[in-house]
Amino acid sequence: MEDVKPHKYLEHVNETLRKAVGAEEGLVVFGQNVSAGSRISGFTKGFVVKESGVIINSTNTENSLVGFGFGIMIGGGKSALFMKQLDFLFLGIDQLVNTYNIIRNSTHTKGSFTILPVIVDMGYEGPQSSSNNFADFCSIARIDGYAITNKYDVVKIIATHFAKPGFRIISVSQRMYKDEIIDPGKPIITDKDMKFVQYKDGADVTIVSFNFSFPYAWQLALEAEKVGMKPSVWNVNYMTPVDWKSILENIKITKKLVVLDDSKSENLSCFSLLAEARGLNLEKDIFIKREMRADWLNPVSDAIDINYEAVIRELAAQ
Amino acid sequence: MPTSISNKKKIAEEVVRLRISQMFVNEEYKAKRLKVSVHLALGYEAIAVAVNETMERGDNLLPSHRNIAYNLARAGKLQPILDEYYLKPTGINAAHSGSMNMLNPEMGIVYTSSILGNAFPVATGLALSAKRRGKKNVTIVIVGDGSMEEGSYYESMLMARSMELPVIFLIENNEWSMSTRIDQRRSPIDVSLLSKSMDIRYELLQGNDPFSYIEKFKDVREYSIENNMPVCVEVKVATLGERRLPSTQEFPEGEFINYHAGPAPEVFLNEWPMIKESEEDPVFVLTKHIEQSVLKEDARRQFAILQKEIS
Repeated sequence: MEDVKPHKYLEHVNETLRKAVGAEEGLVVFGQNVSAGSRISGFTKGFVVKESGVIINSTNTENSLVGFGFGIMIGGGKSALFMKQLDFLFLGIDQLVNTYNIIRNSTHTKGSFTILPVIVDMGYEGPQSSSNNFADFCSIARIDGYAITNKYDVVKIIATHFAKPGFRIISVSQRMYKDEIIDPGKPIITDKDMKFVQYKDGADVTIVSFNFSFPYAWQLALEAEKVGMKPSVWNVNYMTPVDWKSILENIKITKKLVVLDDSKSENLSCFSLLAEARGLNLEKDIFIKREMRADWLNPVSDAIDINYEAVIRELAAQ
Repeated sequence: MPTSISNKKKIAEEVVRLRISQMFVNEEYKAKRLKVSVHLALGYEAIAVAVNETMERGDNLLPSHRNIAYNLARAGKLQPILDEYYLKPTGINAAHSGSMNMLNPEMGIVYTSSILGNAFPVATGLALSAKRRGKKNVTIVIVGDGSMEEGSYYESMLMARSMELPVIFLIENNEWSMSTRIDQRRSPIDVSLLSKSMDIRYELLQGNDPFSYIEKFKDVREYSIENNMPVCVEVKVATLGERRLPSTQEFPEGEFINYHAGPAPEVFLNEWPMIKESEEDPVFVLTKHIEQSVLKEDARRQFAILQKEIS
């Protein structure tokens, strides 16, 4: 897949997906308002499928939309369900667990199903919607889930997984929609399944980001470099624990670890890395997550408030 | 087209085979030799035979957890199904599925689910997949009067109608959801009106006559494919194997226990497998069409064949 010009996160995601959708034979694209109105606020803007495919502006039937996609998959077809909000996927959990289990256990379909929900993580939503716990969905049935966070991973994740045989969920962050997409440059290590990527290789500190916290990790790395530190930066795109060997080897060298996870879940997927890393006799480890304050059900910001200078001071302290 | 005499006999033999096969399973169940829970479908043989006779290559069938009659009909034999219940590698799904998710993709059974309502949307997806490939096939999804209470029933009917998909929603109305009758758990649903409201054809099957069921089902299948339209078929069934517990002060006539799953303790293996002398029993209904002596002779033969098959 050819590279695209740098611009806003949403534009970049949309452009990459538009190319992928247009390249697939027999693709069924469906979801609410996928080709009507704002096209899910621009997420599915300009989608055109090949003659062998179809775009369906679906009914408001989330459980059934998920089952429908699995049905197409069992039938050997390729489908992609675009969803305005991760919360809507709660209605499809029965299908995500039971139907997907049956397919994995008993069928040998070459069909494909991809769900692409938007994580509504910009805050100020109040009690109606604030789920950004993408990993929880994946954990519940060991589903392959990938978070799109920067200019490199969007192209790589879509190329590696979209419309490929099998099932997965690929999510985007609404919080980043209007931000300039981060271009982390040529990566040091890319996992073949795009479960994690190493973007910087330094010996002073290992920074690892989870869920959609890569922009925080990247900013922290840039701030650290300003004071002469050489950080290693890793982003975990995958939603459930992976083989941490590569990251642990890096931590053994730096002996200092910063883990960032912006999910609101009580069961963060970074916990498994932390548990293993803390057995390595670290000089320092800092864990940054979103603090759930008493007003978390009110319309408040979802951003993590990070004092980068303070973090760097703590890392530099002997 | 009226059923010929020889074809009638073949259909009657199938009804009897499905019944005796289930009776063998029941005996194994009573003897605690099965490794998984089985939902017997004594009383469902007529509709199972009708669906099987109607299906053509490429059609999809999505039964519920009570799938034994359909699996027996599609497989044409008992042993691989019984072996799946024993969780033997020789089982129809090599011990991967057990009872409630038993599949037979080669014969069109591509999905089964014990989760109420999950099969409806999967059927719509399968139908879309087949339609887009230009196949002249139908997808049959089997639901109960309990699972049609789930939102996915309405949602999937709506999706199938909106997208003009050849899906047959077959509702097995046995009046019960585990231990509660319809009138104990909800207001009635007029399925014909519900279907009409969505501009979906509705048909009612009752009386357990496999011959008329086959004719009706063939007509429905053709209509669904030719018009690219879903159809809703409601079939009245009784899950045979009910019993009464011993008399108590609270229940002088004995508490009524509806058969749901597990062995049916008061159903016994018999060369003549009729359970009830009423239209609730498809084997009884056969006696309206074929001499009982002929049926009994055939049943004895089937019994011996099945006994040999699983010995």
